[in-house]
Amino acid sequence: MSIIAIENLKKSYRDSEVEVHALNDINIAFDQGEFTAIVGPSGSGKTTLLNMIGGLDKPDNGRILIGGEDITKLSSRKLIDFRMHHIGFVFQSYNLIPVLTALENVEFIMHLQGIKREKRLSRATELLEAVGLGDRIHSRPSKLSGGQQQRVAVARALASRPRFILADEPTANLDSASTRNLLEIMEKLNQEEQVTFIFSTHDQRVVDKAHRVIVLEDGKVVKDEYQN
Amino acid sequence: MIWIVAWKNVWRNKARSLVVVMAIAFGLLGGVFSSAVLKGTSDQRVREAVSRETSHLQIHNKAYTDDNEVKFVIGGDLEKLDNVLDTMKGIEAWSPRVKFMAMAGSANAGTGVMVMGIDPDRESRVTEIHSLIRDSCGTWFQACKGVPVIVGEALTKKLKVRLHSKIVLTFQDMQGNLTGGAFRICGIYRTSNSVFDEMNVFVTRTDVIPLLAAETNSCHEIAMRMKDAGIVEQIQSTLKTLFPALLIQNWKEIDPLLGMLNDFMDLWLYLFMGIIMLALGFGIINTMLMAILERTRELGMLAAIGMNKQKIFSLIMLESVFLSLTGGIIGITMGTALTWYTNLTGINLGTFTEGFEKIGYNPMLYPSLDLFFFINLTLMVIATGILASVYPARRALKLRPAEAIRND
Repeated sequence: MSIIAIENLKKSYRDSEVEVHALNDINIAFDQGEFTAIVGPSGSGKTTLLNMIGGLDKPDNGRILIGGEDITKLSSRKLIDFRMHHIGFVFQSYNLIPVLTALENVEFIMHLQGIKREKRLSRATELLEAVGLGDRIHSRPSKLSGGQQQRVAVARALASRPRFILADEPTANLDSASTRNLLEIMEKLNQEEQVTFIFSTHDQRVVDKAHRVIVLEDGKVVKDEYQN
Repeated sequence: MIWIVAWKNVWRNKARSLVVVMAIAFGLLGGVFSSAVLKGTSDQRVREAVSRETSHLQIHNKAYTDDNEVKFVIGGDLEKLDNVLDTMKGIEAWSPRVKFMAMAGSANAGTGVMVMGIDPDRESRVTEIHSLIRDSCGTWFQACKGVPVIVGEALTKKLKVRLHSKIVLTFQDMQGNLTGGAFRICGIYRTSNSVFDEMNVFVTRTDVIPLLAAETNSCHEIAMRMKDAGIVEQIQSTLKTLFPALLIQNWKEIDPLLGMLNDFMDLWLYLFMGIIMLALGFGIINTMLMAILERTRELGMLAAIGMNKQKIFSLIMLESVFLSLTGGIIGITMGTALTWYTNLTGINLGTFTEGFEKIGYNPMLYPSLDLFFFINLTLMVIATGILASVYPARRALKLRPAEAIRND
């Protein structure tokens, strides 16, 4: 069964006097354990689609069912709560809290979830070890490289035990080695722990690793295929 | 954990936060010290006025206070009054006075004065005038030549007289006849109120009663000192019930300006501190707005990952409170230290002695503040931090996560 089902999704913006159709009647479903890349040129609607799936923006029309629940109908308060418990985010520019250590950054979302400190510390440590940062848990983001910061962001996204992780151009600011390393970690998490990843990307290295590639153009799905 | 994040966020931009913290600290230092000077001065004025001029409570014939006519002595059952005042708990001492207006004349000048005919021993237990005669300025009715009078230093200057000089007091007796007597200056006192010193002379009751042609036990005024200033109104109320025909006034009623000074000083100090806090509040708002502008992306991320509006509001409010409280604690500590030190040493404004004494104030100031002021001030600092966070926090809550995350 699909964990995400998108039905007839439409979203348009008014840019000056021109109406831009960012998403135009999108219908897609994602299954548990997918490793999917959403690609397309700038302005094709990748980020808008990710924002919709992540409950960060509301569509003009259509439904987004996550685990059977239509998140477009949720109130803003319930949506925040839904995001905290069900969706993990990895952002292009890491967006870690600079005053907290790697461990505290990962722990923070569990604090928001009301998890007790001992459990938080143990899981945060475990996750940082899983992304290869067991020896940097007490480092602040400013002392970590871009690749390391993005790995902390992945650990943070996993900390809340979400149903899936949305990653918006996660490798855009990384060098080749860091990109390769990050992709290996995410692929491993996907294969070993069935974590569902949905990326938006321009990066061919990410596309090459993806099991499924969805191509958007002018807000429409023009290609949706699985690859080996 | 939000508390820790908030505290760390305060110090994210150390230079900027320190500027605000120092602005708050020095603003409060100035506010606390100014308040302490004002409060100390006012308390000192009230304390001195009560102990030297008004005493805690006074009893008069109801008609006497209208025009101070000498015939309006305290009437009724004087024996009962004496007994009650002697036995009532809470009354430390009381002193009967004959009190009337007179013309004081020397060989060189003349002026109107208020004559206080007192029993020296009893009076010295109620007021402090006896202790304000300096060594070279005579005594409080001891070893005097002639009929003694104690005068203020300001009056001696006006009459151009010295210790042991003779002055003549002219006044009306009980029947309205002009009378008078020659008195020898036995002592010269000096309070911090030159107007009082110029106006009030002290003679013994036994010397003036025959001149007034009044009965032996007559008096126009009874001044009382309480064991504790806090029970003045309670004693006043009891006496009013026991002696409804007499006018019984407390020091605030006797000197309404003094009462107002006492009652309104606290209000004034809080208003003064409130204005300072308001100004500092705008500084905090500015700093918090800048912090939020810089952290738009981070706040967007926090909202995206599930930090709800209450928690984001709390985070910003805590940062603002920490900022104001840090500055507040430093400022209040510095203000307290300066107040404590100057309270020990006093602030001598000797250059302005004449001006101060003309309005009844001591030129030696002892700044002081009570504990409640500091508690309330700390609460005001916290309240300022909370109020100053409202506008920046509302701005933060209006951010749309999807847009904020991509903010550069």
